[in-house]
Amino acid sequence: MTNKVCVIGAGSTRYGRLDESIIEIALDASKDAINSAGITPDDIQAGYISNVFGVSDKQVHMAPVIMSNLGIPYVPGLTIESACGSGSIMFREAYANVAAGFYDCVLALGVEKITHTGTIQSTTLFSYCSDFFYEGGSGASFPGLFASIARSYMATHKASEEDLAHVAVKNHENGMLNPKAHVRKEITIDDVLKSPVVASPLKIYDCCPFSDGASAVILCNEAFAKKSSRQYVEVIGSGRGASPAAVQGRNDITTIPSTVNAANQAYKMAGITPKDIDFAEVHDCFTIAEIIDIEDLGFFQKGTAAHAVREGATRRNGEIPINPSGGLKSKGHPIGATGVGQVAEVFEQFTGKAGERTIKNAEIALTHNFGATGASAAVHVFKKVE
Amino acid sequence: MSSQPNQQQQTLGSRQKFMTSANKGKILSNKCLKCGHIMVGTIIYCERCHGNELQSIELEGSGSVVTFTIQAVAPEGFNEVGKPYAWVVMRIDNTSSLKVSGILIGIKSPADLPLGSKVKVESFDPKFGLKLQKFS
Repeated sequence: MTNKVCVIGAGSTRYGRLDESIIEIALDASKDAINSAGITPDDIQAGYISNVFGVSDKQVHMAPVIMSNLGIPYVPGLTIESACGSGSIMFREAYANVAAGFYDCVLALGVEKITHTGTIQSTTLFSYCSDFFYEGGSGASFPGLFASIARSYMATHKASEEDLAHVAVKNHENGMLNPKAHVRKEITIDDVLKSPVVASPLKIYDCCPFSDGASAVILCNEAFAKKSSRQYVEVIGSGRGASPAAVQGRNDITTIPSTVNAANQAYKMAGITPKDIDFAEVHDCFTIAEIIDIEDLGFFQKGTAAHAVREGATRRNGEIPINPSGGLKSKGHPIGATGVGQVAEVFEQFTGKAGERTIKNAEIALTHNFGATGASAAVHVFKKVE
Repeated sequence: MSSQPNQQQQTLGSRQKFMTSANKGKILSNKCLKCGHIMVGTIIYCERCHGNELQSIELEGSGSVVTFTIQAVAPEGFNEVGKPYAWVVMRIDNTSSLKVSGILIGIKSPADLPLGSKVKVESFDPKFGLKLQKFS
């Protein structure tokens, strides 16, 4: 028997190109989350930190530095890396430790700073997240890896570049309503199709930006949450999955097994099916990723998501709103923070802080975030608590 | 074709062995003696039945293009290739689904490489990884 786990506070910096150091960004988001939860640092019994490229800002072993600067140097911290999925996979570890009863209240913080390294260096650093011997080491970038997946999907399921463009247009439309989004710019299908090719068949508007940013949430057990006078959200499902690290190791390149397995675990734990989800924040590092995600998460049959997106089923007023925050595409992708930022979006949606992008009458939401081309993934399901 | 079921021998320097085979135009694979599954030679337990009795087999490095991309921005060092290139996933001939990926230099446009095109392993370049070439 495990304890119920709740999210009682959340905070995020703006995502984009930030001038502060990685530690300052991390502290900003942590302070916002602590204030949002109505707690003080001495309520925090452990810190979980997700980050990938701290070395580029001259800081690894980040957790003790963050805990020290929060004024709680004797509270243990742990830094976790799982490429672009670091945030959700770290969240899972924080969740598991509270559920198991080791802690009553913890900080879960994701942070990344990468834009100072420039496009070539960032592209190179990201390629280290691939199975480098087979992928980055033979010249594949991450846009290139997802472009290969896109070409395979388009050939198998007769999807078009225009279908992919619909994902970008929808997520930019949502991001316009998010004051913390990195790319707040409305775009058209034509804009996407005419934008420069990054890795064929993907163009620049098919790709998320390199972003700096931090997001933090406060997790606690139900007794702790009830004692606070704040509105909170309950975590009702949690799942982890894995896939062969290299694309070449997958039988079917048009699906991501880690997503399927993590989602099935999370649905089972929550006692629900995909039809019960009112909205989802999914990993749309590239437009093709969102198409594959929403099939693997069970919202649409294999091969039908492109059509559904084209018909508007994933817009804010659609059958299953996807990425109301703007997603990685528009909100941005500070890779250590992204998975936590998704949880922060759910918290804001369920506690009346999402403003114009609020999904009306939503009660159950899902977050999905993966590392690299889906070699690692985590899915969580949340319930609004009135 | 070589036969080395001793697992200790298999695990030592498996990448080095893969590169040596690639330099002969071959793909080093491991065949599981328990279930018959064939995987790339750098995997040291059977990914299907988890058996550890593996037979090292050099396969002909020929196959067909499963998918590929041509990138506008390459990772550091790959501008030294000096020509446009495709990053390719290929399926090895005479296997059910064994795939490897590598660099195919001289591909300028997607029209130059229809899916299913025949490609083969050229070598393993210390700077550019597994190099492939087109053939008909």
